[in-house]
Amino acid sequence: MKPLAALVLAALPAAVFAFGSAPPGQPAPAFALTDLDGKPARLEDYKGRIVVLEWNNFGCPFVQKHYRSGNMQALQKRYGNDVVWLTVNSTHASSPDYRKPAALQSTLTGFGAHPARYLMDDPGTVGMAYGAKTTPQMVVIDASGKVAYNGAIDDKRSTDLEDVKGAKNYVVAALEEMKAGKPVSTPSTVPYGCSVKYR
Amino acid sequence: MRFPSFAAFLAALLLPLAAPCAPVVTTEHVEAQLVSDVKSAQPGKPLLVGLKLRMADQWHTYWKNPGDSGLPTRIRWELPPGWKAGEIRWPYPTLLPVGPLMNYGYEDDIVLLTTLTPPADAAAGNAGIKAKVEWLVCKDICVPEKGELDLVLPVSAAPPEKDPRFIAHIERAEDMLPVDAKGWSSAAAIVGKTLVVRITAPAGVAPPDKVTFFPEREELIVPAAPEKVAREGQSLQVTMQLADPPLQGVTSVAGVAVTPAGWPGTDGRKALQVAAPMAAALPALAGSIAAGGSAAGGIGGSLAAALAFAFMGGLILNLMPCVFPVLGIKVMGFVEHAHGEPRAMRMQGAVFAAGVLLSFAVLAGTMLALRAGGAQLGWGFQLQSPVVVALLACLFFVLALNLAGVFEWGAFAQSMTSNVGARGRYADAFLSGVLATVVATPCTAPFMGAAVGFTMTQGAGLALAVFLMLGVGMALPVFLLALFPALLKRLPRPGAWMETFKQVLAFPLFATVAWLAWVLGAQAGNDAVLALTMGLVLIGLGAWMYGRWAHAGARWQPALGALLAVAGLAVAWPPAGGAAQGTGALAAHEAGWEAWSPEKVQTLLAQGHPVFVDFTAAWCVTCQVNKRVALHDDAVVKAFAAHGVATLQADWTRQDPRITEALAALGRNAVPVYALYVPGDGAPRLLPEVLTPSIVLAALERVPPPATTVTQR
Repeated sequence: MKPLAALVLAALPAAVFAFGSAPPGQPAPAFALTDLDGKPARLEDYKGRIVVLEWNNFGCPFVQKHYRSGNMQALQKRYGNDVVWLTVNSTHASSPDYRKPAALQSTLTGFGAHPARYLMDDPGTVGMAYGAKTTPQMVVIDASGKVAYNGAIDDKRSTDLEDVKGAKNYVVAALEEMKAGKPVSTPSTVPYGCSVKYR
Repeated sequence: MRFPSFAAFLAALLLPLAAPCAPVVTTEHVEAQLVSDVKSAQPGKPLLVGLKLRMADQWHTYWKNPGDSGLPTRIRWELPPGWKAGEIRWPYPTLLPVGPLMNYGYEDDIVLLTTLTPPADAAAGNAGIKAKVEWLVCKDICVPEKGELDLVLPVSAAPPEKDPRFIAHIERAEDMLPVDAKGWSSAAAIVGKTLVVRITAPAGVAPPDKVTFFPEREELIVPAAPEKVAREGQSLQVTMQLADPPLQGVTSVAGVAVTPAGWPGTDGRKALQVAAPMAAALPALAGSIAAGGSAAGGIGGSLAAALAFAFMGGLILNLMPCVFPVLGIKVMGFVEHAHGEPRAMRMQGAVFAAGVLLSFAVLAGTMLALRAGGAQLGWGFQLQSPVVVALLACLFFVLALNLAGVFEWGAFAQSMTSNVGARGRYADAFLSGVLATVVATPCTAPFMGAAVGFTMTQGAGLALAVFLMLGVGMALPVFLLALFPALLKRLPRPGAWMETFKQVLAFPLFATVAWLAWVLGAQAGNDAVLALTMGLVLIGLGAWMYGRWAHAGARWQPALGALLAVAGLAVAWPPAGGAAQGTGALAAHEAGWEAWSPEKVQTLLAQGHPVFVDFTAAWCVTCQVNKRVALHDDAVVKAFAAHGVATLQADWTRQDPRITEALAALGRNAVPVYALYVPGDGAPRLLPEVLTPSIVLAALERVPPPATTVTQR
């Protein structure tokens, strides 16, 4: 264990260097990914609109909690007209949780999910640029292209479907405040969930 | 591991009825069980219950702060009426890197402890303890699992028997709990984009240098960013990357500091409980008190401060008893020529300064080179060698004889320097610079301790810079006098008074010789002192013969004189193995003072006694003066007794790596150092290098009076 830990620590600086954070108030890192149909998608395509990024991995029980309870689909539907909902999957191809676009498409359909687009980020570069540590992790980008919220989906850290009721949903809070022209009162929280399965 | 579990198995077979029932719940990745190290519960008496989790190979569960992802294990107790459960007591975690992320948790197996307390009126009979447990277990994927665990413990008024099946498990978990170790202190500060946690060891204890800090709050740091650990003297510092955005309103940093080697003085416990109050900035290391108008501060690793302190220390060195006589000679030399050519004077001053600086460079260079080779050395190290002490005694004796008029350098010096005029005087100026530096080493001026101590933690380049600055400070007054000879014009013109003054100056040098003989006695024993003094007699005889006949134009007498002086030197040379016979321990001679050892400091502190340590050496003039003036002062002696302060003496007269290490831990590398340890305080207070009774008394006033009458040995 000890030599292994030393090795890992020695290798870390390089890894940490690549790992960013997208703190509130800062411009959201630009990206160009492809969706499940292989079509290109760039953040700048949605200039002037509010964008929600949702880090996703259907193999993760924390993600399952929000899909099996219908919570995530409800959010996607509720804000579908006001925001561009981009679901991002940063799972590396070497992970047991990795799914091919076709399989992901059928899972999405099965859950009745409605993101504007589902983006493949298997190299993990976009996830790392946004400091995405967990699935789910939520980022809200305002119309000016700045990060307005980065963190957990809600305040109940569990995999229990029952906990969706009564939880304070930070994404809802941020979007409602932005709609009302108010500053986001909780712009940052510690995300919870499975680790994003980077390489 | 095999044997104990087999023994436990046997025990379980032999005691099937007595052993409380504790079934194992097996999920896909975990075996979970409630265990206790006792076979029954006693009403009103707290007992430890452990949740034992055995993870499948390479799977892990999480600590209370899971790190970048994950979830801590949760227990919901369902207890008989009146029973109370405490919070989970978490054994320290390990680092679990996952790609670019970091988790804090447990692999293999772990026991999470909880204290359960049955009510005082618990009825006899079986108590059913139930725990609904949820854990997230992850490898490259995560699985939430849960189990309902039972433990049936009979309630009995009799003191409980230990349950051999689980003692080892509970004990191992207890051993992994963070320890709230006595005497260790901590502080935290935000420095730029980092969080710095400083942990300070108790008196006389060296902190470990391999430490991992696990903060209890999740949103404080970036767990995956490597922590940097630095050790400075008594303190170690962990620097972590602050979370972005940084958490607001943090008043203290709680966490667990883990060192693989175990924390000194805690029976090898590997985890230290840390609750570090947040400071605007961390105080300087090796902090000390300023009293009696004399400051001797810690300089907290700032090069600028070290250089400034070194410069001031060097200036003040000129007034210390070591250098002053030599300086007198030099100034007198100036007087002799003050009314001559100003340009030559300036050159002389410059050459003197060059002599000082070069000597400092050589001394410091030698010390640094030896230290790089592993030797434990500090300021004044050359005086730890009996040979150097004996040679210095001979040198001073010869100089004193010269000043007293027993002989003149005359022809001898002329033969060494072809030109009696300017060049001879330059050689003279250079040599006095060298001499001034050599004699300066037994003295430590105020400000010097911190500056010289600073060099311990620096590279050779910076260390040399500090030593050179010390030389600049020391050379400056004489250099200025030479630069502005007008200052000297006020002195009387040279005349007969100068001869008298010169002879008077011989006596401080004789006193120096007497003191060096005493130092040699402490280092190499009585026989070495006899050899030295007999050698001095021979040298005296030689000098006298030289002086008596050299000017008379005689041929063989001066030659014989020189030969006798050389023979005297040979006689005075101390035996190589003599060090072992030294009277050494100064403390042995002084009532009320005991010999220092790091263990003794710890023991005394553990017993609640304040401790005053005098780091001293026979060759340290400043130390001797402080001892006479302050430490042996009646009021001070009484105050030590009144406050129940144990007084220890650490004698650095000869080389002693333990003392050099202890000095380094205090951020020092020279004596004297006066350290006052108060039980419960982290770092000791350091007193200034030059003491007066009032400084010591003021320091002692801060020591709380003994709670009970101290029954001393």
